[in-house]
Amino acid sequence: QVSVLYFARSAELAGVRSETLSVPRQITALQLWEEIVKVHPRLAVIRDQVVFAVRQEYVLLGDQLLVLQPGDEVAIIPPISGG
Amino acid sequence: MDESEDVPKDFIKLKSEKLSVDEVSELVISPCCGAVSLFIGTTRNNFEGKKVIHLEYEAYMSMAETEIKKICRDVRQKWPSVRHIAVHHRLGVVPITEASVIIAVSSPHRAESLEAVMYCINTLKASVPIWKKEIYEDEYSWKENKECFWANSGK
Repeated sequence: QVSVLYFARSAELAGVRSETLSVPRQITALQLWEEIVKVHPRLAVIRDQVVFAVRQEYVLLGDQLLVLQPGDEVAIIPPISGG
Repeated sequence: MDESEDVPKDFIKLKSEKLSVDEVSELVISPCCGAVSLFIGTTRNNFEGKKVIHLEYEAYMSMAETEIKKICRDVRQKWPSVRHIAVHHRLGVVPITEASVIIAVSSPHRAESLEAVMYCINTLKASVPIWKKEIYEDEYSWKENKECFWANSGK
């Protein structure tokens, strides 16, 4: 079980800011995205613009294998606009 | 003067209250430094012909602070003479002409602090998880920094 955090446009599309999600311990970034889109189909429109932050490190939506621990934080990161 | 009081420090703050240039510059002043360089990011009242009413910022707080700390660490590697670094970013609603970000850097001579301030703001825009929403009269828009490496795919 991981904590999923939503920000900016992704929070608007998902309708939540955070929730817990049950996922396999080992999963690719892309597979994780697919799991999240199953719960929030409206997120599909931003697929090409987002990255993840897993344990506060950026991860592209690709084939990278994630090794997740219970309680890990996974954040959906739309294009940033600080400063 | 107690020398240990002047160890190089990073002052990082994300807050919803109005930012203060005086406060941020005073944080980095140091007896060994002859230069304090400053960047202030203020909110513009227009974008592509549309009137901007105000901005709203949100942040992934814990990661934003961590990423800003990484920027400070990089600054110290590139410009070892840099003394103190302060980065204050405002969150929530920011009215027009008010500051959304203030960055101050002190160093013995001016070249390093001027370069370090530019590096800080450029890298912040590329890597710190903070988002800006521009509120217009009839609509709003989540902005995307051109520095963001994963945005603008296919555009």
